[in-house]
Formats: sequence, structure tokens, C-alpha cells
Amino acid sequence: MVWNKFPVLAVLCVCILISACGGEPKPPLVATDIVIIEAMPGKKMTSAYLSLTNHTDAAISITGVSSPEFESVEIHESLLEDGVAKMRRIPELSIPANTTVLLERGGKHLMLMRPTGTPTQVTLSFQNGDTTLLSVRAPVTPRNN
Amino acid sequence: MTTIMGPKNLLIAIVLGGALAAGVFVATKLNRPAELQSGFVVPLPNALPDFSLLDQTGGQVNANTFRGQWDLVFFGFTNCPDICPTTLQVLANAKRELIDSGATTLPRIVLVSVDPERDTPELLGQYVEYFGEGNLGVTGTLEGIKTLTAALGIYFEKSPTQSGDYGVDHSAAVLVINPDGEFSALFSAPHLVASYVHDLPIIMGDD
Repeated sequence: MVWNKFPVLAVLCVCILISACGGEPKPPLVATDIVIIEAMPGKKMTSAYLSLTNHTDAAISITGVSSPEFESVEIHESLLEDGVAKMRRIPELSIPANTTVLLERGGKHLMLMRPTGTPTQVTLSFQNGDTTLLSVRAPVTPRNN
Repeated sequence: MTTIMGPKNLLIAIVLGGALAAGVFVATKLNRPAELQSGFVVPLPNALPDFSLLDQTGGQVNANTFRGQWDLVFFGFTNCPDICPTTLQVLANAKRELIDSGATTLPRIVLVSVDPERDTPELLGQYVEYFGEGNLGVTGTLEGIKTLTAALGIYFEKSPTQSGDYGVDHSAAVLVINPDGEFSALFSAPHLVASYVHDLPIIMGDD
């Protein structure tokens, strides 16, 4: 048997398997590259961009987003159809299994409406019905690049 | 040993030589710096129509306002959180890069509101001045806006939202108005800083 001939190799393989299975389990839904844009002067809305990664083997559906710093948060999509810019609300955002969905400029994004103050940090909570899937907090950044 | 080229080989040599010359010609044409990346020059520039609107200070804006400088005109609205500020930021960044590169001819950035109902001169002023000094905001009556947009082929229409509010669908192009007050070129979306920095000096005759 090969393992009898190469005991060091056998131990090494077991170690690799243990290290691959060990450590902290990955959260099902992870947000990265969060950019919350400062509101324009005199405006009561702004936008936020981020990447949402589903680490599970089943699709995750986001049916709502909320923030204590804004009265309302909606998922929107900017569309360019025949040279015409449009913006439409997405009532439900599905993140397919083991996939990252980008919320980016000119595409899907979060629209943050009616701030409750002048926030420098914003908490965003992503929900499916009454279940909170993920909460993240990120600083507000200027819109200069 | 000496080899004399036969008629068949001579023909092949001529064809290959011709192909090489054609390839060099095409490559030279493709590398010409005067080729536009995304801008499109209108073959016959159109004079602006007779219209009357307001700038961000409440001053009169008409066709003469667009004479004497190059203008980059975008049609949008201040309650637009994604496309409009992103486009204006692209134009502002392109202008900054042109300044940094030593360009002598610089365009003015203009936002014409397609939501004059909500975009007062004061709100529009705060919005356009956020993207730099010297920018022009144009608003006024819906009829005045329509006179301008209809002549330039710009589309806009209200789009109601579920919450009872509304957005505005609108043409995403940026129009170039020359110093004679004529619509002379346009950039279609998506808008990229590099394309403006490359194309504007050619369009404005400053390359």
C-alpha cells in the first residue's frame, strides 16, 4: 500500500485536509468593497455600491435593505436602453449560489433616501422578510473620483 | 548558383508586396491620433433654437449663452443619484485632466434639467458647482426645456415610482456645442474620462 511506503506523505495529506476543513466557517453572505457616496449639497438622497458574495450552495434572496441613518433604502438598477438612461427599483435581489453580484455605478446600486442626520458612518442591513442576512458598517466617502 | 524568378513566383511576389503595402497603410491609418475614440462629429452642425431658460443665478439663458466657448451639455436632474452625478464627475475629471495636460481650450460643463418642476435655480446651482467652478446649470419652464430638447433630439419622460414619487428617463448622451452656438458633436454613454481627454482636443481643434 502506498501509504505504508510513504508515511510522511500520508501525514502531510491528513494535515492539509484538517487545515482545509478547520478555521472559521465562512458567513453565507459577505459584503466587500463598500462605497457609500456623500449626498450632493441640498439633496436628500445618495447611492451606495458594494459586492455581495453568496458562499452557500443555494441562492440567497434580498427583499429589503435598511439603515438607521436613512429613512428608506431601496435596491435600484440604472439601465441604458437605446441611448436612454432609466432607473428602476428592484424589489428582490437574488444572489445565485457561490456567486458575487456587483452593485456598481451605472448598474445595480443602493439608493439611500432621506438621511436622518449628516452621517459619516452608515450601517446597512440586508434582509429577507423579517430575517436579517447581513449587517455592515462603512464610512461615507466623497464623490470625487 | 543563380536563380531566375519565374512568372509564377513573380506574381506571388507582387501579390505579397501589395498585401504588405496595404497592411502598412491600414496600420498607419488606425494609428492616426486624429481618430476619435467615442465622440461623433455631426456632419452639419445645427444652430440652437430660439429658447428662453434660467441659469443657477436666475439669469436669462438663451442661444447666445452658448456662443463664445465650447460647451459639454448633459441633460439630467438633481434627484438622480447614480447616472447623472457619475456622468458629471466624468466630465469634471476629464476637464481636470485637460487642464493638467496644458490644454488651452477647455469646455464649460452644462447640466440642463429635465426635471424643472423640482430643480430650482438654487438647487441646480449647488449641484453643478459641486463638480467645479464655471459650470452652468439650466432650468426654467417645462415648455422652455422642451423647445431646446426637441430641437436637439433629446428624449425625457417622467417615470412614476411605487412610493408615489417619480424619476425621469432621459437621453444619456453629452452634446458638444461649438463657440458659434451650434450642436457639433456628441458622446454617447457609457462615458469614459479617457475618451473625452483623447477626443475633445481633436473636436475643439486643440490637438
